[in-house]
Amino acid sequence: MVRFKNRYVLCELLSDDPRCRHCIEDRAVGLAVRDAIGRVHGDYGLACCSISFTVKYLNAYTGTVLLRCRKDSYRLLCSALPFVRFLESRAQRYPCALNTLHVGGTIRTCQKFLIQYNRRQLVMLLQNCTNEEERQCIQKSLLSCSLTEEQSQSGDEEDDDGTE
Amino acid sequence: ELPDGGARPNAAQFKQLVVSALRELHGEVGAALPVDVLTYEEKTLSAILRVISSGLVKLWSALTLLGFYQNRRCAFRVLQTSPFLLALSGNSRELVLD
Repeated sequence: MVRFKNRYVLCELLSDDPRCRHCIEDRAVGLAVRDAIGRVHGDYGLACCSISFTVKYLNAYTGTVLLRCRKDSYRLLCSALPFVRFLESRAQRYPCALNTLHVGGTIRTCQKFLIQYNRRQLVMLLQNCTNEEERQCIQKSLLSCSLTEEQSQSGDEEDDDGTE
Repeated sequence: ELPDGGARPNAAQFKQLVVSALRELHGEVGAALPVDVLTYEEKTLSAILRVISSGLVKLWSALTLLGFYQNRRCAFRVLQTSPFLLALSGNSRELVLD
């Protein structure tokens, strides 16, 4: 009754263009999402979702985006995410897509999910990779992330060697 | 209501106006709301619209906030809403039963 409840939506940014990775920034993503909400849900939806809307976390290497919105309007936000088709930054348009991974009530639950998700992704990458060096790299990061909880952060960053 | 001005919209233009009002306020989702114009009188500029009951709030709010038709000021007034078409034909309080 007393506090404002937020929903944190964890998404993954997918794009074919390798140049896109370098110019992902939180303002560009925020503008693209806002624009998509405005198109799909009109002025009312845009105003509704923009009350407490921010890009809380952005990882350009893995393409992980964490968005925050009010609990009352998270459905509007989630339904508008598939309509984000391109990111615009520095007068360049890069086609991209946003995959929703997880919706949580706090940043901590999203972080827990992200850690487990990255672990599973590393295992899948190990099965799919063709190059011997990549294999060694991924095996090393897998071993390092399964030892202790704190080591898992270094395991996350090795992700980008396997993905394009 | 269109204060004097020129051409009055015909039925198709009227529907286009309603849908564009929905699109402005509620986006593509609003524009996709199934709205039917059951009757339309060009003389009095009055119409009977049909919409699914969950879409009444969206339709009414979009009509209220519509201000312009072809750069002319206009306003929508909702006279009566009812789930039954028959109820729109007369005022049931003045009904005289024999």
